[in-house]
Amino acid sequence: MKTKHSQRITDQTGNLAFLEEMKKTPSGQKILDCIQCGVCAGSCHARFAMDYSPMQIIKMVQLGLKDDVLASSTIWICASCYTCTSRCPRGIDVPLLMSSLKNMAIQNHVPARIPTKPKFHKAFTEIVGKYGRMHEPQLQVKLMSKSNPKELFGNASLGLKMWRKGKVKLSPSKIERIGEMESIFKGALKKEEEKK
Amino acid sequence: MKYAYFPGCSVEASAQEYAMSSKAVNKVLDIEFVEIPDWNCCGSIDAVHAYNPILSLSLSARNLSIAEGMNLEVVTLCSACFFTLSRAGKMLREDPRLKGTVDKVINDAGLKFAGEIKVRHYLDVLINDVGVEKIAQHVKAPLNGLKVASYYGCLLVRPPQIRSFDDSEHPKSMDRIVEALGAQSLDYNDRTRCCGASLVLTDKDVMLEMTKDVLLSAKNLGADCIVTPCPMCHFNLDAKQKEIESHFGLKIDIPTLYFTQLIGIAFGLDPKELGLDRNMVSPSKILAKLKAPVQVAPKT
Repeated sequence: MKTKHSQRITDQTGNLAFLEEMKKTPSGQKILDCIQCGVCAGSCHARFAMDYSPMQIIKMVQLGLKDDVLASSTIWICASCYTCTSRCPRGIDVPLLMSSLKNMAIQNHVPARIPTKPKFHKAFTEIVGKYGRMHEPQLQVKLMSKSNPKELFGNASLGLKMWRKGKVKLSPSKIERIGEMESIFKGALKKEEEKK
Repeated sequence: MKYAYFPGCSVEASAQEYAMSSKAVNKVLDIEFVEIPDWNCCGSIDAVHAYNPILSLSLSARNLSIAEGMNLEVVTLCSACFFTLSRAGKMLREDPRLKGTVDKVINDAGLKFAGEIKVRHYLDVLINDVGVEKIAQHVKAPLNGLKVASYYGCLLVRPPQIRSFDDSEHPKSMDRIVEALGAQSLDYNDRTRCCGASLVLTDKDVMLEMTKDVLLSAKNLGADCIVTPCPMCHFNLDAKQKEIESHFGLKIDIPTLYFTQLIGIAFGLDPKELGLDRNMVSPSKILAKLKAPVQVAPKT
């Protein structure tokens, strides 16, 4: 598998407009600084669940392999734990880079390797937009897999136990100046549209 | 000592025992929290950021903007909120173009944000403003014989570029508090391993695997309990522990406390006031161990 990945990475000619686009993102400015030392790959606590290592993803961005990068599981599995960045000799903010890649996949409607992920980001943002704060039970409900009764039961049972201990707020807490939130959401959405 | 307090969404709900115990500890140590009025979601490390980065930064900026008017340093209990607010401040300070974009969004909402305000974690405040000596002075019921694994997780100490008050590879601040309380702090190797909290709703199997490793290494070290300064970590280690046991066919049964709950126990505070009845894995085992008469080794 590993050999196949590295062959694919060096053999393909990519889309360099993708690299230029990534260089405009906050941590993308440093993307060409990567020396492929592999510290991020060796440090990553979630590497076992990824198809490409973070080091490979960076190389693929450098080569402009947009389709492979946005279709990878890696960008969604990154848990933003920042072990890679703490150890990176070139000071690259890898989780922020992964976040920009997720953003690009969402914006371009690229089918995600983990389909619940784009739904999670959308649902989380919508709840914050509505109340100004997160309401955990609503997020759970929005993401519950209705086709998996075992999981549904498991979540409901944990939810009930937590509710009995007073750890579940049934009604969301909403900020007072919700108008400011609406204005911020409108403004940020406009900025996101301008990118396209 | 007075601070602008940012509670965050978890501390208001699933992590109430963290809020309760820190409030109780504050009373003893004479720390005052003034809640940031009408605070909103911190902006999230990745959940909102991946959907709309400018929105995430603007959410952070609104909180910091309100806090700037209070002329106090910002303190939060949640490692994720601490990280998100700190990172947003740093990104906006270092990138004038980005700050220009965020300024436009929040100015339109009637807000202004200078960007210089300092954000701190409660553990930082206890270690550096209060100091372990003062904490030790208030110990009424020393935790003699209790073996504690201090679990720091990710976002409290990483990356060092954001704002560091402890070592990013082998932090010690919580261990120093644990020892000041009379307990034994274990040399816990997985103290900064990631529990996979951000994957809990979308990639559960991955998260279960990651949290299992964190729990098992503490268990194998002989820890009586784990302490943590983060509501995200606490949810995985405590509320998800039963599921991990059944998923992997393991018996773990290790109480996970907020470090503030452990401080409260040593201060002799009422367990109810510390929310100890709210932990999902009951801490009664460790309370019983602390009450048990100390075994004196026979003279040889």
